[in-house]
Amino acid sequence: MDSSTVRLILLIIHILFFIYAFSVIFSYVFLSFISALESSQYIKRNSFVNYNEILSSTVSPSISIIAPAYNESLNIIENVRSLLSSHYVNYDVIIVNDGSKDDSLEKLIKAYDLVKVNYLINYQVPTKPLRQGVFKSTNPAFEKLIVVDKENGGKADALNCGLNISQSKYVACIDVDCLLLEDSLQKMIKPFLELTDVKVIASGGVIRIANACEIKEGKLININLPSKFIEIAQILEYLRSFLLGRMAWSRLNGLLVISGAFGMFDKKIAIEVGGYNTKTVGEDMEIIVRMRRRMEEENIKYKVAYIPDPLCWTEAPDNYKILISQRNRWTRGTIEVLKIHRKIGFNPKYRLLGMLSYPYWFFYERLAPIIEVIGILYFIVLIALDNVRWDYALAFFLSAYLFTIMFTIIAIFSEELTYHQYTKKGTGFKLLLVTLLEPFVLHPFILYAAIKGNIDYYFNKKIKWGEMTRKGLSKTES
Amino acid sequence: MSNKKKIVLAEDNSTLSLLLKFRLQKEGYDLFIAANGKEAIELIEEHQPELILSDIMMPYISGLEVISHVRNKLEMKVPIIVFSAAGQEEMVLKAFSLGANDFMGKPFSPNELVIRVKRLLS
Amino acid sequence: MNNSQSVLEYFMQLPTLVKAVWLISIVLFILILGLILYLKILRIYLRKNEKEQIKYQKIYEENLINYLYAGDDVNEISEEQQLFINKTKIEILNTFNRKVLISVMSKLVNDISGEIAVSIHKFYYETGLINYSLKKIKARKWEIIASGIDELTQFEVKQAHNKIEKLIKHPHKEVRNQAQLYLVNLFQFQGLNFLNNLEYQLSEWNQIQLLEILQKFDNQEITNISNWLKSNNISVVMFALKLAKVYNQFESKDALLDLLKHPNEEIRVQTIDVLSYFFDTECKEYLKSNFNNSSKSEQIAFLKLLENTGDASDENFILENINHPNFKIKLASLKILKEINPTKFNNLEISESDTASKRIVEFINNN
Repeated sequence: MDSSTVRLILLIIHILFFIYAFSVIFSYVFLSFISALESSQYIKRNSFVNYNEILSSTVSPSISIIAPAYNESLNIIENVRSLLSSHYVNYDVIIVNDGSKDDSLEKLIKAYDLVKVNYLINYQVPTKPLRQGVFKSTNPAFEKLIVVDKENGGKADALNCGLNISQSKYVACIDVDCLLLEDSLQKMIKPFLELTDVKVIASGGVIRIANACEIKEGKLININLPSKFIEIAQILEYLRSFLLGRMAWSRLNGLLVISGAFGMFDKKIAIEVGGYNTKTVGEDMEIIVRMRRRMEEENIKYKVAYIPDPLCWTEAPDNYKILISQRNRWTRGTIEVLKIHRKIGFNPKYRLLGMLSYPYWFFYERLAPIIEVIGILYFIVLIALDNVRWDYALAFFLSAYLFTIMFTIIAIFSEELTYHQYTKKGTGFKLLLVTLLEPFVLHPFILYAAIKGNIDYYFNKKIKWGEMTRKGLSKTES
Repeated sequence: MSNKKKIVLAEDNSTLSLLLKFRLQKEGYDLFIAANGKEAIELIEEHQPELILSDIMMPYISGLEVISHVRNKLEMKVPIIVFSAAGQEEMVLKAFSLGANDFMGKPFSPNELVIRVKRLLS
Repeated sequence: MNNSQSVLEYFMQLPTLVKAVWLISIVLFILILGLILYLKILRIYLRKNEKEQIKYQKIYEENLINYLYAGDDVNEISEEQQLFINKTKIEILNTFNRKVLISVMSKLVNDISGEIAVSIHKFYYETGLINYSLKKIKARKWEIIASGIDELTQFEVKQAHNKIEKLIKHPHKEVRNQAQLYLVNLFQFQGLNFLNNLEYQLSEWNQIQLLEILQKFDNQEITNISNWLKSNNISVVMFALKLAKVYNQFESKDALLDLLKHPNEEIRVQTIDVLSYFFDTECKEYLKSNFNNSSKSEQIAFLKLLENTGDASDENFILENINHPNFKIKLASLKILKEINPTKFNNLEISESDTASKRIVEFINNN
């Protein structure tokens, strides 16, 4: 190759990088704008809603909370108590003990006066067989509780078992260690009941980080900002993702994922599409994509709704090792889901889903870490060749950094203007400080985890689930 | 000390509980106010009241659990009146099966409550 | 001076792209500084606001209760009460105070009835709070109109009826909803007249709300629902079906039987459900003859109906369905068979491979 061809190739690469960077920024600006619009309307719409009638009505549709539990013995009693304290009337709680090796079941039996019952299961979705069977409480105060003991089959399999057990019209699938506020169910069910011109197939909730919050008896008493950098940085990440990203996508009706930690589904449709996929670690995203796909194929007007209220609180990893394994798993999940459903990508038949959501996810979620690494490598090569105009590089670097900061600050703003959860003095300063440092401190780990996820996906097929060692939500109690 | 009869009132609507407190104090009772089920249980254990008034739907621990705790764990025979919102018939039935003595559906008249309180405490 | 001149010179010789990037960075930097400053102010403001809110709520709570107990007769205002009313009139000139006071009052009025409630309504009139609410429903912004209607509903201002009735056709959904809630809260079944010519769809959420409100009242004298069952508006029919069930509207049975042929599947299913609740047998023959043409949900609903009303005459039909591939239909059929012909049920021969039937029979026998 002569030098002019090399130069041409380099020029093309430069232009591609530039287009990519520009489109990322453009899409963020666009999404922030949409999200601001949607947030303000949401708040207005819900400022004078009275939930009392829906709560107490026996005509309100039935909801089952499905919570899979695997070796959760440490907190299971508290967690179940929290799930049982919802203010909705017509609901039950299905705890699926997914072949736990600890004493979860014994603890539950003792704490909630459970006895084995004769329960006829309609196996609409295949799952692993039951182990000890189905249990219910003899105490009328815990009448809403159903505990199923089955052989281990993973989270998706346990959720499917819950789908079979449930007799309700709607199911709320949650992580058992999540803390739900008492008004979660009525807020999540609202879009299903409210919209008359489209079919709502699912609604997703926000996940908030409960680290350092004061929790008693499975109830959130006091919201605190955690002290560790890694925890605060994740709070910012979550704010960006939930208050800016998902809010905007829900407005566009292009939401591709609702968090596995808290989402509500129309049970009939969830079962019709075959329930959760047990072969992927991204089962929460996969089922949404599959349900959406089905709706598109059948030409039904539908919506995946999104509730920005802080209803579901969960413990985030507080050390890098666990964080990396969690993000590694998320990356593999995304890759798998996009691969399973590659048919919809860039396919005009799937309209917005195929032409906007999928491509966005593919380029800016799936490919982003790879492109970033390529960029870094290229930069290193340039340094090695002593071919860097440092003053130009500085300019580009600075603007990219400032953009990142600005979006995070906008996310903090939308939190302050909507829910204002971190009220204590001094937290604003802490959040800002972490905002400035996060791109240098947290981001490299996230990038590393994503790359590792890619490597594991392609070269290390036997990888197991990342174990999340839990310190326990109710640590204030002990 | 005082021979005033003690009442524990558990209600998460602060305005309502203040209103009832003033009213019942005027009738000569000694009132202890809890904003949730957990506080209610603590007050009940501490003061051994002659009567318990409790809302069914409350944060932290529901009224049903308060009844269950009083009857089964503390084994107290103290009369209990529960408040329920419209449409919670099922809950009211459960409250009775757990050992509640009377119920008042919201919205209720404070005068009527006073009459029922007097009847149970006479 | 020299320094800044050289910076400018350096800047001028940069390629356009890099120049633009520098400019963007500078703009972003200024923006961020501004945002940070604003964030600081916002947080201080919000914190202060929250404190004030709590403070005033406490004050108003206590004052209001003192006011309520200061009178001897509901129909008359005592001197002490009048003083408080006069004081309040001035305080509520401030929007913040007004909001807090209204929120305290509505907290009480939702849970209290009888004399005290009447006294709160009176207070709402006397202080002139009512005028603020009436002004709100003339506003341009929909959220203000809606909250105005909400206030008029809570404090039972019947005189706003004509004004609010007009809002039932307001283009914004939330305003329409609030207007409906007002009519039904204050005028009960008569308030439902808006259903006669409703063009918009009534959401499930609204239907439940209206139903719950209606059930709060002692007067359960329902108006004739047959016309709503015949409505062209699908949501009105659905709502009427709910009313039929809750208020045992046997009289409207003819209209119900007609609905079995309604083009909308959901309505057909709901109708079967209501008929099943009425233990109706008249519809059985039609539904049997139409069974194979109906949707799965209708079939399941019909078998639920037979669980209530099945008798010996249904045996052949049931026997046809005990091997139905749908689990729910199979379960219901077997249950009904046990009811109407236990001998036959006990002597059923189930092949070894038919695990579903085996499980069902075992379950039925154990329950």
